[in-house]
Amino acid sequence: MGREVSESCVESLLIEMVSSYCNRFYADKQELAARRIEAIGYQVGHQLSERYTMERPRFSDHLEAIKFICKDFWSEIFKKQIDNLKTNHRGTFVLQDNHFRWLSRMSIESSPEMVVSSPDGEDKASQAMSMHLYFPCGIIRGALSNLGIPCAVSADISSLPACSFVIRIKA
Amino acid sequence: MIVCVAIVGHQNNPLYIQSFTEGDDALKLHHVVHCSLDVVDERVNNPKKSGPMLNETYLGLLYPTENYKVYGYLTNTKVKFILVTTDLDVKDADVRNFFRKFHAAYVDAVSNPFHVPGKKITSKTFAERISTIVKAFGLSSAG
Repeated sequence: MGREVSESCVESLLIEMVSSYCNRFYADKQELAARRIEAIGYQVGHQLSERYTMERPRFSDHLEAIKFICKDFWSEIFKKQIDNLKTNHRGTFVLQDNHFRWLSRMSIESSPEMVVSSPDGEDKASQAMSMHLYFPCGIIRGALSNLGIPCAVSADISSLPACSFVIRIKA
Repeated sequence: MIVCVAIVGHQNNPLYIQSFTEGDDALKLHHVVHCSLDVVDERVNNPKKSGPMLNETYLGLLYPTENYKVYGYLTNTKVKFILVTTDLDVKDADVRNFFRKFHAAYVDAVSNPFHVPGKKITSKTFAERISTIVKAFGLSSAG
């Protein structure tokens, strides 16, 4: 029997986790904070992939595993599938989500006081936003590596709330 | 009757192994499990040309010995489940059903945030759940 989780609770938890790591635990070491958040995502992805692949035959190649991430895995977490999958057939995959749930409530518009106080307000805003993407990157990496595909995952916010994840499989 | 069940990680590291016999034959059963790992590898690397069954998690009967029958199951995450039984006429459906429950129990155990991936499963709740499943298997195949 599937258990349900309140969506707003999950979102609040994620936002709180990111802010705790960035502003309290590793306030002056953003890179370390990012690594820690990614590691949490990794563990979550690792465990979820075990659960969600339970009733299906084993994957025969990388593409099948990536397709699983795009379709079933994504629908289990975000109730929608990845909108666009691109690949160069040499181990790089780009997964684009046109309405990424965890970013849908965020705005990249920097607040007026931020702009006044610092000329690079825009930069700070997008940096703060990118901190929120280490967790989903970790989830993807954890899921794939549990399926036997070691990879590196990075995220790219081109135009909100669209978001794309770039997966590079390590040969 | 099921005499032994085991979970083996993707690097052939034992994650859980438990025998259910009165006697002092744990070592012998561990040996049987150990031997079965090669058979699993062989099955996976040289799949039979049976279309729809390709890459199925349930591997079926791995090999029979004089006293035991050994069944295997391999998950997507390359974790092997091994079942050793003394019953000579076991229904395939029963074994499938057993492995499904076994896998579900395993997934719940590794989802524990305090479990370290790749380490042995020491959870008592898990051990109890497995022995319940093992007992239920005996009943369903007898009846």
